[in-house]
Amino acid sequence: MNQTNNTDVSNLLMKLYGNSDEAIFFFDRQGRVLSMNAAAEQIIDEDVFEQMMAGNTEAICKTCKGYTSSEELQTCLSCYMSDPTKDIGSFQVYFDTKGRGIIPYSASIQTIDEETGARVFMLRDLTDQYKTQEELNQKLMMKRVIKAQEDERKRLSRELHDGVAQEMLSSLVDLRVLKYMNIEDDVLQKVQQTEGSLMRLLDDIRHLSVELRPATLDDLGLEAAFRTHFKWIEKNYGLHVNFQADLQTKRYEGEIETVVYRICQESVFNALKYAEIGEVVVRLYEEEGYLHLFVADEGRGFQMEQFSPKGTGLGIYGMKERAELVDGRFRIRSELGKGTVILLKVPVGKGGDAV
Amino acid sequence: MENQVDFNYQQEIERLKEKFGFDYIGIALAQSLEHRFEMKWMYVTGNLSEQYRLLKVQYGKGVAGVVFKTGKPMFVEDAEQALSGDNLFNYPIVVAEGLKSFGAIPLYKNNRVNGVMLVGSRKRLALTSEGFAQFKKVTGKEFGQSFQEEMVKNESDQ
Repeated sequence: MNQTNNTDVSNLLMKLYGNSDEAIFFFDRQGRVLSMNAAAEQIIDEDVFEQMMAGNTEAICKTCKGYTSSEELQTCLSCYMSDPTKDIGSFQVYFDTKGRGIIPYSASIQTIDEETGARVFMLRDLTDQYKTQEELNQKLMMKRVIKAQEDERKRLSRELHDGVAQEMLSSLVDLRVLKYMNIEDDVLQKVQQTEGSLMRLLDDIRHLSVELRPATLDDLGLEAAFRTHFKWIEKNYGLHVNFQADLQTKRYEGEIETVVYRICQESVFNALKYAEIGEVVVRLYEEEGYLHLFVADEGRGFQMEQFSPKGTGLGIYGMKERAELVDGRFRIRSELGKGTVILLKVPVGKGGDAV
Repeated sequence: MENQVDFNYQQEIERLKEKFGFDYIGIALAQSLEHRFEMKWMYVTGNLSEQYRLLKVQYGKGVAGVVFKTGKPMFVEDAEQALSGDNLFNYPIVVAEGLKSFGAIPLYKNNRVNGVMLVGSRKRLALTSEGFAQFKKVTGKEFGQSFQEEMVKNESDQ
């Protein structure tokens, strides 16, 4: 440090002390407050402030709610104030602040004058950082949940499709053999009825399996899975899906296919549930290294700004999260009375593998 | 329909529609083995759209699917309230025909549900539970072997 700048430094330090957002306390060896800056005054109650100024060494405990040790989130065990010679570079502490409740701070305490034992205690607000971290964590969790759900669905779907449905089919074949044996008419009729029930049950199981996760998606890819799904939608819900795909039966990474399939499924279901229309347009194509999905209806639409969802409102959130899983961009445009458009753009690099 | 020589469904539902003042009646029947026993809407009267021709009844889903599976009648006095928003899309025939109150009964054949008759009105609360009960009572007699009230009771007692 250049000696000639000494006055400048003390000037700057005074400014730092006065204008910093960080709360700064000076304590003497006994733990009495020597001084505190404006930011520190702001966070503590007047009552505590007065006690501090009166020299009460316990006053700080009224506002401090403990620090974070490896054992506990908030503890007073071997408090940072207890040993006047110990310097702690950085630790986390909770303070009951004026008007904002208990919030986390990053704190440091160190001796700045060996002779008098004066120590400085600084607090940096951590709430924003905490919030960011929490959001990040939540996103990560959401992604994990989506992945776990998808894996579980895949497992169950496979089990139903390859296990239960196969068994069911072989008993159905056995039953059919029975019809060609020499049996009474009333038995034959009963057998036929049972055959009908079994076939329905088989259909049920297959539906369940496909609803959980279509095997076609893994075996034949997006286009085939969509065609089957839309045919099913049309038959069961009477919604016509105008589907055009231009993928040349390309295959993509499993995760990308899952994301695109789920987002499209959700969008079409949303149109079915809320748009009150008879037709939806779906386009799927690859362009300049991106896989595009386009879902549009000319139904009721909704107001993007003041949006009060008719359903859970989680659908759109979930779609966004899913898109992020594969670095995709998800956009939704809607206008009351004009309809809704959903756009998804997923980077696929050099393009999928041709089959 | 080749196997319906003994009973004219179309004529019958038109007569019932007049008699009870329904806006719509539809009958869904299970298909033969060749069609994997799938259930389709076969006879309708008072329909607004032709969409019923495309629809397949999925076992256990929608009006017909539920009645088909449970073998019990189903009655919804106020569709807007009971099947609001999120749930209505599961009842495509109700949506397509704009039914506001409706009821459905199972049609039995050889002790099994072979079909479903859906009756409904496009006015809210137009079909009351008394009205539906009356309809069930009368059709029980008039609809011959297809619907027998005691069967419905037996099923629901279990």
